[in-house]
Amino acid sequence: MNKKLIFLLLILASAVMLIGCKKDAPLTIWVGTESVEFYQGVIEDYLVKYEEENGEAFPHTILVKGADTGSAAATYLEDTEAGPDIFTVAHDNLGKLIAGSSSIAPVTDAGLLAQIENDNPDTFKNVIKGSVGGQIYTFGVPYIAQSLVLYYNKDLISETQVQTWEGILEAAIAANKQALSLTGTDGFNNSFLLLATNVQTGTSSLKLYQGGDIQQNFVTGDDMVSVMKWGQRFFTHANGPKRPTDSGWQIELKDGISLSVISGAWHYNAAVSALGSKLGIVKLPTFTITSQDAYGSVTAGTQFQSGTFADAKMFVMKKNSKYQEYIQDIVKYLSSKEVQEQSYIAVQNLPAYKNAAIEFDSMTGDSLEAKLASAQIEMFEHGIPQPFGFDNRFNFYYYSKGGPDLILEILENKSGTTTGLFTSFDAIKAQLQLVENIWKTGNK
Amino acid sequence: MNDRHASMQGRVQKFFSSILKSFKDFGYGIFRGLKRFVLGVKKRAVRFGKRFMDSSIFTKIAHVIMGVGQFARGQIIKGFIYLFIQFGFLFVLITSPTVNRTPIGFQALRNLVTLGTVEGDVFTPTDNSMLMMLFGVVTLGIIGIFIAAYSSNISSAYANDLLIREGKKVLSFKEDLAELFDSRFHVTMLTPAILGVIVFTILPTVFMILIAFTNFDSQHPAGQVLFDWVGFENFKTVFTGQGEVAVRFFPVLSWTLIWAFFATFSNYIAGILLALLINKKTIKLKKVWRTVFILTIAIPQFISLLAVRSILSEYGPINNLLITMGLTNSPISFLGTAQNPMTARASILFINLWVGIPYTMLMTSGILLNIPTDLYEAAQIDGATKRQAFLSITIPYIVFVTTPYLITSFVGNITSFNIIYLLTGGGPSVGGGYKAGSTDLLVTWLYKLTIDENEYNMGSVIGIFTFLITATGTLLSYRKSKAYKEEEAFQ
Repeated sequence: MNKKLIFLLLILASAVMLIGCKKDAPLTIWVGTESVEFYQGVIEDYLVKYEEENGEAFPHTILVKGADTGSAAATYLEDTEAGPDIFTVAHDNLGKLIAGSSSIAPVTDAGLLAQIENDNPDTFKNVIKGSVGGQIYTFGVPYIAQSLVLYYNKDLISETQVQTWEGILEAAIAANKQALSLTGTDGFNNSFLLLATNVQTGTSSLKLYQGGDIQQNFVTGDDMVSVMKWGQRFFTHANGPKRPTDSGWQIELKDGISLSVISGAWHYNAAVSALGSKLGIVKLPTFTITSQDAYGSVTAGTQFQSGTFADAKMFVMKKNSKYQEYIQDIVKYLSSKEVQEQSYIAVQNLPAYKNAAIEFDSMTGDSLEAKLASAQIEMFEHGIPQPFGFDNRFNFYYYSKGGPDLILEILENKSGTTTGLFTSFDAIKAQLQLVENIWKTGNK
Repeated sequence: MNDRHASMQGRVQKFFSSILKSFKDFGYGIFRGLKRFVLGVKKRAVRFGKRFMDSSIFTKIAHVIMGVGQFARGQIIKGFIYLFIQFGFLFVLITSPTVNRTPIGFQALRNLVTLGTVEGDVFTPTDNSMLMMLFGVVTLGIIGIFIAAYSSNISSAYANDLLIREGKKVLSFKEDLAELFDSRFHVTMLTPAILGVIVFTILPTVFMILIAFTNFDSQHPAGQVLFDWVGFENFKTVFTGQGEVAVRFFPVLSWTLIWAFFATFSNYIAGILLALLINKKTIKLKKVWRTVFILTIAIPQFISLLAVRSILSEYGPINNLLITMGLTNSPISFLGTAQNPMTARASILFINLWVGIPYTMLMTSGILLNIPTDLYEAAQIDGATKRQAFLSITIPYIVFVTTPYLITSFVGNITSFNIIYLLTGGGPSVGGGYKAGSTDLLVTWLYKLTIDENEYNMGSVIGIFTFLITATGTLLSYRKSKAYKEEEAFQ
């Protein structure tokens, strides 16, 4: 009897483990976790609009789920069949999504293509396209823009000081604090130096996968060497930037250990919680090359504007989705100018729409949100979109093959525990050459 | 002086020759195992032939059509089950049904060789090499399970032949079922377990091993770009390549072994000492002390680790205390951002004591309470001192009982993911821009390579090496231990 009981329990347990209820999967949309509620409301509006236009209810269920936009592309690629029909990614993920024969569908609807063409700045229009089989297609529909800004402690840095890194360093010395907290040591965090442009000419000799060509990389120009040397003086100053710690930048800002942090809108709430009413938001500061930093054709006194990656988040669509006939219309609605403005009001998503700053009343004013928006828009003038969407390798080589660590070695003037390795201009240039090699081949 | 030197030299020689002997024994063991396997296959083939010649016509037909041997003896249901298995198997094999546009069955075997041939375009899909490999392995598993069912079909039909020859009655289906709950109950219980091991352990392991022989990496995402077999190319890269895996493999391997050694023995020794202390007669409130230490087990390990990381952070309470006491002027980085890798390594070994000691303490306490008292009484009668009794009874007993634990603990520490990942994330980083940091173990590096970098092929190579190290270490040390050699010493 006991044996029979055990056997029956075993069968029952196996049945419970193995039986799965499989229903027809709904049309699924992934949006950023912070925007789920907002886009659920938008979809409800869409369903009403659909019914009005078509005289019948939308024939399928639409499910809006939250996903970490940073890892959404990787998660989708793990199992594309089980992935969403529409999802949101940063535009630099395009390379991995369209590698080979592409895992996402190109935009083919004329109305949606026209909306993309009319509503977006040229910088975005260039980075949402990609080549598959030698043919260029538009794959993404931009709907959120983002760039880096400076969050700073208004009580310790004056409005004049915050305009230059020298001013911030001066404030840090006066308060005996660190000028800046770094949120990480990756390629995004050093971009304020790497993408810096000459204030007078608005240019830089830097080439980063220019024209989508893996060979079109150049980081060893005189201006880059000078900028790195300036960065080295800044980073090695006792009151210079603070390397990421186990405590985290929020604690450092909150406890007054450091005075500022470079970050994006995604850290806005954390910055507010760290500094409260002391929080100031401005575009990234400028810095001036001294005689100690000037190299080659760059002269002392040349002023540089900190750079940024000016990025777009975009909607993309699953290849061979069983809801193909509907998804382009839904994306068109989700990325429309009106929804972008609502999204800014509801969850502070900076619109990708090109005339947002002029046409959207909600973006003018004196609130912190408006300052965040205006600082980001200002930074757009000094930024470039991450040019990694053309090829699967670009993003990987730029971020994951050690380039950022080599740049940090220059800035900290050491490798491992050995200091002073990058004091000379030649050593800096040689190290930058290694970075350039990595960008081109994945190896030093 | 010379005698001492000679004695030391002798010991060193003995130590190394014993290691060499162990490897020799291990190699010989593998050879013997292979020989036994080949002989076993040969023996089974001979038996299969003999049985075929000796069997009835129905059993002979059952070699081609499963279930005939049972139908002919009135075992209709059993016969149908075998027939169903055969038809089901042939149906899957021939029609090759598809899941996610990838076939299982005969096509899957072909795909296992080619790993896909169709390079799609922006509107049509590319063959998914990863699924093709997976379904190929699954098909091999299905074939293996079918062979077992086929063999069972023949054995059952032949057993019927023998029963009839002996003039006995063939078992009905009901009686067969009753047997499964009686004399063959072990079969009933073990079959799901064996199937579970095949499906959840063996097939994924085979799949993982096969990936090491392909170029499945970030440049060959499954379903977008076809990947292919590359033989031993990835293994060659580990030893001769120029990239990160070649440069960082041996430093990471060395640290992994050092970590495993110190993490295991520091916990082990400290745990035993703590248990001895708590079990000392003069110690009061023994239960309270034990409970206090058990509480650290009750708290989920990752919570303890994150709390410790926070406590030790640059602006955490420990640093505040050190600064307040004037012991340091500026905060010290103890973990992933430490200036010196040795600081981080020492810190994680120390923290590991906190989460590891209670296990050893608990186990050793149990052992101490169970040492037969007559051993001590006999020692006392023989005039042994307390120290002698401790060294000759207590310690050998603890070591004897805990040797398997020590080995599993060592292996567990080689694959200790949580502590490294949560405390240091593998940092501090090493110069040169490598992903594998100063405290990365093979397993955390493997995680970075696969999850962060999508270098599945190199991750698989490292996984195989990790398995070889743990398996070899475990087998060697267990076979050398007294717990294995003198199994009945303390029984």
